[in-house]
Parts: sequence; C-alpha cells; structure tokens
Amino acid sequence: MRTTACLMLAALLLTLSGRTVHAGDPANGPEVQLNADNAGPRELEDLTRQSLARDYARAWSTMAQALDQNRPDALGNDFVGFALDNLTQRVASQQQNGLRTRIVDHGHKAVIVFYSPEGSSVELRDTAQLEIQVLQGSSVVHSENVTMHYISVMTPTEVRWKVRVLEALPET
Amino acid sequence: MTRKLLVGFLLLVACMLAEDAARGVELQLPKEVVAGADMAVPTMGSGSATFYLVGPAGTVKRAIKLGQEIQIKGEDVRAAGRYVAVITGDNGGSGGFWVMPAKVANVGFIAQPSRLPVALPGAVSGVVYAFDHFHNLVYQPQPVKFELSVAGAPTTTRTVATKDGVAWTRMDSGRKQGAAQFDAEVDGISARRVVQQVAGDPCNLRMKAQRTPMGILVETDPIRDCSGNPVPDGTIVTFTSVDSKGTTTVDARIKRDVASAQLPAADRATISVASGVVLGNEIRIGGAQ
Repeated sequence: MRTTACLMLAALLLTLSGRTVHAGDPANGPEVQLNADNAGPRELEDLTRQSLARDYARAWSTMAQALDQNRPDALGNDFVGFALDNLTQRVASQQQNGLRTRIVDHGHKAVIVFYSPEGSSVELRDTAQLEIQVLQGSSVVHSENVTMHYISVMTPTEVRWKVRVLEALPET
Repeated sequence: MTRKLLVGFLLLVACMLAEDAARGVELQLPKEVVAGADMAVPTMGSGSATFYLVGPAGTVKRAIKLGQEIQIKGEDVRAAGRYVAVITGDNGGSGGFWVMPAKVANVGFIAQPSRLPVALPGAVSGVVYAFDHFHNLVYQPQPVKFELSVAGAPTTTRTVATKDGVAWTRMDSGRKQGAAQFDAEVDGISARRVVQQVAGDPCNLRMKAQRTPMGILVETDPIRDCSGNPVPDGTIVTFTSVDSKGTTTVDARIKRDVASAQLPAADRATISVASGVVLGNEIRIGGAQ
C-alpha cells in the first residue's frame, strides 16, 4: 500500500516537475492560442499573428525563468517599457527578500482586441491557467492554481514583438 | 487493483486536505484597492510572524506582531494587478486582492503620419493609451477627445471612448496647409502632436509660351493645389517640346509659385507641361497656331 502511495506521489511530482521545465524553457514556451478574428482596425496578416503568438509565449517563458531564478538579464529580450520596469523591480525585490516565484504555465487563450492603424501596437486579452508558487529557499510560502486574466500590449522591435504592458485584471 | 486505486485516491484527498490546512485561514483583505493607496490588514492572535506581500512589481517581507494591523504603504501597491498576502505561523493565513489602476494621469498618444498632403480623407490616425500616475493601463472606459486644428481653418473634433485602455480615430487632413495641432484629451490630461499638412498635387496646371531670341520661353501660372494652397517651391515641373527634330524635356523647379524654362527654338512644336501625375495644358507653336 505504501509503495503504491509513494509511486503515485512520485508520478505526481514527476508530472509537475516536467511542466515546470517546459514553462521555464525559452525555446518552447507555453501553449498560446491566439485568436485574431476580431483584430482591428488594421488587418492582421496570418504571419503577424503567428509571430505574435510565438513572441508572447516566449515572453511568458522568459518571465517564468526570470522569476524562478531571479535573473533579470534576459527580460529585455522580450519585454520593454513599463512591463520591463515592473518585472525588473519584482526580481530585484525577490532577490532582496530571498524569495522566488515558480510559475507552472498550463497555457493561454488570447484574443487580439486591437491592432493600431499604423501597425505599431497590438493589444490582446489573455486567459491563463497558472500554478504559482512563492518560495523562500526550498520552502513554499504560498501556492495556488489560478485562472488569470491579462491585458497585454505588444509593440514591434527590430527582431520581434515585445510585451510593453502586462496587467492582470479581475474577471469581467 | 481496485483497492490500491481507492487507497491512492484517499491518499490524494488527504494530501489536499493537509495542503489546505497548511494554507491557514483566509486573511481579511479588501477585494480591491486603488493603486498607490495606503491600506491595512488586520491580524489575529499574538506573537511574532512573517508577512509577505507579492505583487506584479515587487515583494514585501516583514516581521510583524500578530494582533496588530499591518500597514501597507501605497508605494508597495503601485502596480495594478493581483496581489497575494501571506502570514506565516499558526494564526497566519493568506489571501489575494486586486490593485486597480488610479485615475488617468498620462496619455500615450501616437499620431500618424507626421507629414501629409491636405484634403486626404481618413489619412490622419490617432491612437491613445490611457495610463495612471504609476504607468498602469487604465482599462475602465474613458472618453477621449481628439482635435485636429490648423490656424485659420475649422477644427475637427471627435470623441471616442477607450476600450481596454485604448481609443483610436481616423480624421481627414484639413484643406489648409500648415502645422496642424493634433490633440488628445482624457479626463483633463492632454497630449499634442504636430502633423505637417502640405499642399497636395497641383490643380489646373496651366502655362503660357512665347518666342524669344533664345528660343521658346514657357512659364506656368501660379501653381496651387485643389484647395488653393501654393505648391511648395522646389517641386519639379516638367516641360516637354515635340518638334520635327525630336523631343526635348526640361525639368524646372517651382520658384515663388511659378515654374519656367527655356526651350530650343523650333518652327513648329507641341509643348506640354506636367508635375507628378498631373498633366497641364498643351500649346502648339508655329504653323496654324
């Protein structure tokens, strides 16, 4: 009986740890389903939609890694402006308080709600399924499974779209 | 096998219950607060504990005395989003609350293009993102007033409500050339961009020609666009003469509203004038003319 229980717990732990690696891996990133059916006023080409989905997923992966390892250096590759400022401050304060945050990202369902006429910004609404753990050393301070809603503004840069605003909001 | 699955299930339930117990009681937190506002969290019991606050742009870790209110400064809840508060220990607990954006204090205004011809329908676009003092996107609907004006011409005004923190509009460029002021105002906060409106293509391009000892002198009437704005100096006007020897083309720049050129002498010639995609009149010299 104990063996079965241990095996089950081990299987559960393995499953969870596997998801954590995936969420923190910039090469893969979490799954992002991006719907652009109602994007406007500028028409959104499919190639742009694919780039946005890829870069948004990558940004989440980078953020998860930065918050887990308290390493802000890679944030600038995927974030810019206020979003970058906020995340950089968050990592700095985590370092100061000996905390880190582990995000297990179970995927995003996002809808593009605005693509500016001149093509310089895209706004999307995202519903994310997340497991969030706040840790001090190896002990868990707080743990929760949440469905979060975000507004994000992305702007094009030389090589990719970067997240300029990432703001969680209550369910509306 | 069934028995083992049942045991596994019970173990899982026990683990979940234990996890719930470890989380402790729900803290008495407001459902939402405005960004940058001070707040207090009541605590129960006695003794010492550690308080954690985790938000989008920072974390707080502080030793506290249970039974006393925890004061949270506005600077610790500046970023809008979801916050988690945790108190460790037997009388601890955790909970979440929302920090909502404060009132609009900054306007991100993108106006395009910076320079364009007059009287173009829907050619000027303006996009506004509304932010509060702490750079949070204010996603509650806000009316945005767009105004496009140039000195000596009527102002075009349009009011659009933000949706998810953004509002946009398209406007026609005015009929008068000059530096147009494109303003956007949200809740008393405004931003201004300058859109340079320049004359459009020439309208009614006309020239006259006369023989001179040097050849044929051609000169246009003052060149204006269809709204009456003088076409800028330096704009190229092309004169073309076709005679029995072939075709002669001269490019001349507008200087003080007119363009002129000296064409070679010919007994008979057909002379035409053009600027960009606009064709002017045609003059025949010699013969029956």
